[in-house]
Amino acid sequence: MIPVIGLAIGIVAGLVLKPTVPTDLQPYLPIAIVAALDAVIGALRALGERRFNDRVFVVSFISNVVIAAFMVYLGDQLGVGSQLSTGVVVVLGIRIFANAAAIRRRIFHA
Amino acid sequence: MAEQEAPTRAEGLLEQIADTALDDDYYVVRAGDYAQSREFNTPLTAFVLAVFALLVVMAAVQTRNDRPATERERSTLISDVAARKKAQANREATAERLRKEVADLSASVDRFDPAYQNVRIETGDIAASGQGITVVASPSNKGNLDGSITDDDLQILVNGLWYAGAEAVAINGERIGTTTGIHFANGAINVNFKDIAPPYSVVALGPSDTLLQRFEDNPAGHYWAARQKNAAVQFGVTPSSDLSVPAVPKKRMTIRHATAIKGEE
Repeated sequence: MIPVIGLAIGIVAGLVLKPTVPTDLQPYLPIAIVAALDAVIGALRALGERRFNDRVFVVSFISNVVIAAFMVYLGDQLGVGSQLSTGVVVVLGIRIFANAAAIRRRIFHA
Repeated sequence: MAEQEAPTRAEGLLEQIADTALDDDYYVVRAGDYAQSREFNTPLTAFVLAVFALLVVMAAVQTRNDRPATERERSTLISDVAARKKAQANREATAERLRKEVADLSASVDRFDPAYQNVRIETGDIAASGQGITVVASPSNKGNLDGSITDDDLQILVNGLWYAGAEAVAINGERIGTTTGIHFANGAINVNFKDIAPPYSVVALGPSDTLLQRFEDNPAGHYWAARQKNAAVQFGVTPSSDLSVPAVPKKRMTIRHATAIKGEE
């Protein structure tokens, strides 16, 4: 129940406070969100397999976001920002789909 | 897991990513405080989810806020294009209207200013028609030396017609204008620098009933009566209610040196 409340608080805070992303960080926000989504889907799968650990969730969430943003930053500095972003999105996308497939198998047995 | 880690096994990078989609840490059973923390319902999880939701909402709001700006720019450009097209159409319509106005005005000047029209008729700028007389003069057919018609004869005839009240005169289709000369050159009489040959047909527009009478009563008429009598030149007059004379050739109407005096117009 508490996590759902947390989710709701996040949404409401975003809608009410309307925090703006600093212009310098704007390019990294989409990638950070994809990385965070990967961590969240992984957590859901772990929850289903009864392996969930909140500490692992926190660490994987933060590290995913930071590393993904850092890779895009590095790519920008090297002049291959868009290519590296594509690479990060592909890898994270595969992980998200694989985890989603595992959740689906567990729920629907198919 | 042990199989996957076998060094002999060649595996695609993407397959490996798919196989290890779940962080390995979830499989590790830890010792210590968190060893049994399989609980989902914790403030920490809630906090992370809150941050996640905040990130997503932030990005969504940002994108949504940016969209109207581009949309506004686009609609501004579209309305700008439309406004300029309209302005262009307006100006084209105005130009068309003004062109028509100019055409109308010049047409009305041509057609409806009687004074201007009269001046054009007087100077021979345009062809004219009306009642008048036709004088046909031919040389004597008796072979006498003085029986031919000279430029003097024609000058006297034309002057006599003017004097009798003619308003427009043409000899053999050559209109007598303000700069027209009648003179003898190269064995023929020429009018408007065009050679004409007998019989000389002189068309004079004017009052057909009195023109002939007034011509015969003036010195030019007397001269021609004498010519008929003494040299047997042929002279015939036919009144008519419908005669026409052409315009003076444009070349003879060109003014190069004379200009109107200011205030005398």
